Amino acid sequence: MLLAQEAKPVLGVLAQGQVADFVVVLLLGIFIWVLISRARTGRKIPEIKKIAGLEAVDEAIGRATEMGRPVDFIPGIQSIDEPQTLAALGMISHVAKQCARYDTRFLALTCDPLPYAVIEEITRQAYLEEGRPDAFNPDDVRFLSAEQFAFTSSVIGIFERERPAANIMVGSFYAESMILAETGSFQGMIQIGGTANTHQLPFFVAACDYALIGEEIYAASAYLSKEPVLYGTVVGQDWLKMLVWLIILVGSVMATVAPDNTWLKDLLQL
Amino acid sequence: MRKEGPMIVTVLSSLIVVFSAHFHLGKQLGIKDALDGWFLISICIALALGFVNLTAIHWKAIQRKREGWIFSVWLMIVMYGYAVLGLIQSHTGTQFNWIYQNIQAALSSAVFSLVAFFISSAAYRAFRIRTKEATVLMIFAVFVMLGRAPIGDAIWGQWSYWVNKIMAVPNMAGMRGILLGASIGAFATALRIMLGLERAHLGGTGTQ
Repeated sequence: MLLAQEAKPVLGVLAQGQVADFVVVLLLGIFIWVLISRARTGRKIPEIKKIAGLEAVDEAIGRATEMGRPVDFIPGIQSIDEPQTLAALGMISHVAKQCARYDTRFLALTCDPLPYAVIEEITRQAYLEEGRPDAFNPDDVRFLSAEQFAFTSSVIGIFERERPAANIMVGSFYAESMILAETGSFQGMIQIGGTANTHQLPFFVAACDYALIGEEIYAASAYLSKEPVLYGTVVGQDWLKMLVWLIILVGSVMATVAPDNTWLKDLLQL
Repeated sequence: MRKEGPMIVTVLSSLIVVFSAHFHLGKQLGIKDALDGWFLISICIALALGFVNLTAIHWKAIQRKREGWIFSVWLMIVMYGYAVLGLIQSHTGTQFNWIYQNIQAALSSAVFSLVAFFISSAAYRAFRIRTKEATVLMIFAVFVMLGRAPIGDAIWGQWSYWVNKIMAVPNMAGMRGILLGASIGAFATALRIMLGLERAHLGGTGTQ
């Protein structure tokens, strides 16, 4: 009979199987701290590549302004504990500010009540910072439904009735992504779709004018704010990615040359 | 204090989650489970906010007799009616469940089924041969689609074998590359929030 063994701590304090994760968090923290320090002291930090989907955000808002039609933003269908939703929130503030600046109607459509409450505050604050608090309409930030396909139907209805000129969808999407993106495409909207859900990415690539792929959505707030300190965090993220590539390369070579040698695998599973 | 209070709560909560996930003592204490419970409670409170928002928007539509206001009336009847029924019967009630299974689930399935039609129209656009990349995409897409159907193997016995190879090697490599980048991006976003560099979740305009 097997007896359940109590998990013992690694290195005296860390939980079993969590050492590699903890080291990644620490390393990322160190990289970010180094780059933030460089940015704050005015030293040069490496550039990040141009992201077409983020460059197109202002173009999309500009087009909606010219046409006198709204811009809509959908921050995915998951709650605020989802990192992709948090990434979308960082982007919303930029979009709402631009809309307030150009007097373009901004619609935010949510499927979860927590992001709804936060987005309402972000949008209100954005209009306030642009000196146009009177132009903020709380009815344009909408909680539609917590049910996936009821939300999808509501959004299609809004697309048909209110005819936004630009549709920005960034966050965690599932089966509704294709329905929303295709409806937007039929309406002739300029569309920017972004998600880290790999199973939905092909739909955005096929149906949207611009697609933000995976990590690009997490760089959005830093990229759009153009603040050196936040740029630094994105560069730190890239440094960590290079380190992971290196580990993958070493692991692949080891698995090919000496398949019985498992020290790297054991180390990562600590 | 309007900004500092929530910021302190954010930093403390994230430290507790890190402690609870990575440290032996944290796991034993199970603090994260308690936090998860609190998160559920805050979702319920926010759901009430969403309820109020829907009521406000549709009440205005009814009062001003906006186009399609009759649908707003229907939405109010269904939303409040179903909520009251749920309060009376709880989620295990016969009528409550019947409505869910036979109306809500059926409607959801109907909307979900639309995906097939939208995929066809999107595929037509995506597979149009305009560039070299689109040509490669179309060739592989046709190859994979035929290999996923019985006709592939009927034409050539090795068809599904090669389709599985394409899906498991180059396709999987691409997917994992995106996933790795996205996971590191999520880590970086979490750290930005923990360090107070990104504050959009507090209702401000994003960054400090």
